[in-house]
Amino acid sequence: PHCCVHAKSAARSDLIPSIKLRHCCLLRNQRCIMAYLYDRLLRIRALRWEYGSVLPANVRFHMSAEEVQWFSQYKKSLASFMRSLGGGAGLDITQDMKPPKSLYIQVRCLKDHGEFEIDDGTVILLKKNSQHFLPRWKCEQLIRQGVLEHVVS
Amino acid sequence: MFVTDIRKDFYEVVANQRVALLVAADIDALCACKILQALFHCDHVQYTLVPVTGWQDLCTAFLEHKEQFRYFVLINCGANVDLLEMLQPDDDSIFFICDTHRPVDVVNVYNDTQIKLLIKQDDDLSVPSYDDIFRDEEDEDGDGDDSGNESDGGSEPSGKRRRFDEGAIERRIERQRARREWEARRREILFDYEQYEYHGTSAAMMFFELAWVLTKDTKDMLWWAVIGLTDQWVHDKITHMKYVTDIATMQRHVSRHNHRNEDEENSLSIDCMRISFEYDLRLTLYQHWSLYESICNSCYTSCSFKLWTLNGQKKLQEFLADMGLPLKQVKQKFNSMDISIKENLRDVIEESSNKYGMKDIRIQTFGVHFGFKNRFLAGDMVHAAAALLESTERDESDTTDNFIKALDSLSRSNIEWLHSGIDLAKKKLLAIQQTVASCICTNLILSQGPFLYCYLMEGTPDVKLFSKPLALTLLCKYLLRAFVHSTRNKRCKLLPLVMAAPKDVEKGTAIVVGIPPESETSDKKNFFGRAFEKAAESTSSRTLHNHFDMSIIELKTEDRSKFLDALITLLS
Repeated sequence: PHCCVHAKSAARSDLIPSIKLRHCCLLRNQRCIMAYLYDRLLRIRALRWEYGSVLPANVRFHMSAEEVQWFSQYKKSLASFMRSLGGGAGLDITQDMKPPKSLYIQVRCLKDHGEFEIDDGTVILLKKNSQHFLPRWKCEQLIRQGVLEHVVS
Repeated sequence: MFVTDIRKDFYEVVANQRVALLVAADIDALCACKILQALFHCDHVQYTLVPVTGWQDLCTAFLEHKEQFRYFVLINCGANVDLLEMLQPDDDSIFFICDTHRPVDVVNVYNDTQIKLLIKQDDDLSVPSYDDIFRDEEDEDGDGDDSGNESDGGSEPSGKRRRFDEGAIERRIERQRARREWEARRREILFDYEQYEYHGTSAAMMFFELAWVLTKDTKDMLWWAVIGLTDQWVHDKITHMKYVTDIATMQRHVSRHNHRNEDEENSLSIDCMRISFEYDLRLTLYQHWSLYESICNSCYTSCSFKLWTLNGQKKLQEFLADMGLPLKQVKQKFNSMDISIKENLRDVIEESSNKYGMKDIRIQTFGVHFGFKNRFLAGDMVHAAAALLESTERDESDTTDNFIKALDSLSRSNIEWLHSGIDLAKKKLLAIQQTVASCICTNLILSQGPFLYCYLMEGTPDVKLFSKPLALTLLCKYLLRAFVHSTRNKRCKLLPLVMAAPKDVEKGTAIVVGIPPESETSDKKNFFGRAFEKAAESTSSRTLHNHFDMSIIELKTEDRSKFLDALITLLS
């Protein structure tokens, strides 16, 4: 490191071990921080697959500005990749993470979630302990969020 | 109106729609719901299931869902009141009602557009004819001119009409007289029709028939239909005759299902579900308990021996000795009993029971068998599910949790729930027996003249269990039976029973239940529904007629005595 060169030239060779030690510590700290930041990025990437493209406010609160920016760039990358699939027709690969066994599934509502609107405009009232039989793709989001529970009977 | 072709007029109508299922909290409804859900899963009919425990729940559920759904299916609720009046729906809401409650409200029968009854027209209904109840106002042609004068009974006729006076007045008087007669007859007919409450064919059996017509019936659905029917028998909703007739109907389906796969011996894997007809003992849960405990806690045997007396205990010992069953064996868990004893158990017990005056110790029922360990009788499932449905284990006011648990326990994949239900049912039966014994021994049942009355005090052990309708009704039935066996008063044996228990100590409310008299040939028709209504009205007691069975109400504990007095006066 630069300090070692200085030490040599200033004839303070006895300082060289301390310098080397400190340098190693700094490098180690740097590695730790990098590992931590990288792990955060991996988790943020996983959030896209879990929550979809809009993150809940309490999650975003814990992200730094740079991470938010990274997330939106990742989103864009993923979106353009998905658009390019299927010969330009596009395919949403974040659906059906596990191989689906049936087209429609029975779900049970675990907590009061109020009204829930699905893409075709129909509204469902999600009251605690009500059960519904709906197309799989409409429920997946809510199942991941823990509002609905897939009932296998 | 009654739906004649259940496939065309119900299933095919809802098959491409989203449906709201409003299901009442009794086992027959739960079974019917499971069958319908299975059909809907098969055909990908989207639905939303909402449990409802009473009229208030029903109204709330309807209000919450009326914007999103056009088709509503009501299971075991809604037939016995004027539904359109209660819910005030929009003109395009359609209600399919499959309900065992009778009598069916006349408005529901004769409404052609919005109410579709999934009930067989010959299901013991005797609905009054249309002309006896409804009168088209257009028949009153001639009255149009005279209507202004009708109320004052004929004011001075104007000069113009003096020519028609005599004839017109005579005709008018004649019409008025005919109308009054018609109205008096109408009141009488409606009074007779609505006086007694009773139950019709199981909702689960109705839906099973639908499945059969669609040729989509499976063994699971058949089993649920059997459980639904058995629920009606356990909770004393249908007569013995009807039970036996319906069992025969189910037996035909069971034979049909069993013959499908029995080409060679052992063709089915042990894990497959097998349903079999059983002429089994009337000992509640005996295969999941010890024989001794089951005998002590089953209504039939406990009342026949009078096990709350010392004499009764002795007779029981004699009975066991007579059959050659050692006490040690009999007190063990049933599955651990010696095989040699278990082999002919039913016949041995039947023979001895005849000597002790119990001629009907055996009853026709069905059992299911899947896997090596899992054998259940239909009655076991009913008791387990009912115990789960009304469980007071967790102090929650949320009855829907229990509903979901009970519903789940009916599926074969949820055996743990079923076992926990059986444990709860055992506790419930023990509590019932102890309460019955203490009530009889302390003479808590008093004759009030036209009926017997019993009030469970607040400090009574397990009184929380009896704040629920099904449990209280079961207690009522057992208590009445025990009373009839223990009293010497011939007149009292023919009386019905009214029972009250505290429901919510903080709010100061009690739950009151009335059941018809105990008899071999009872038609199970209950007049307490109307009687309670009238008594509450006449004393302006604060009552809540929330339950779908009109003979179960909630009452403010303070109003108990005046309500009771009014009831006595009414029924004397």
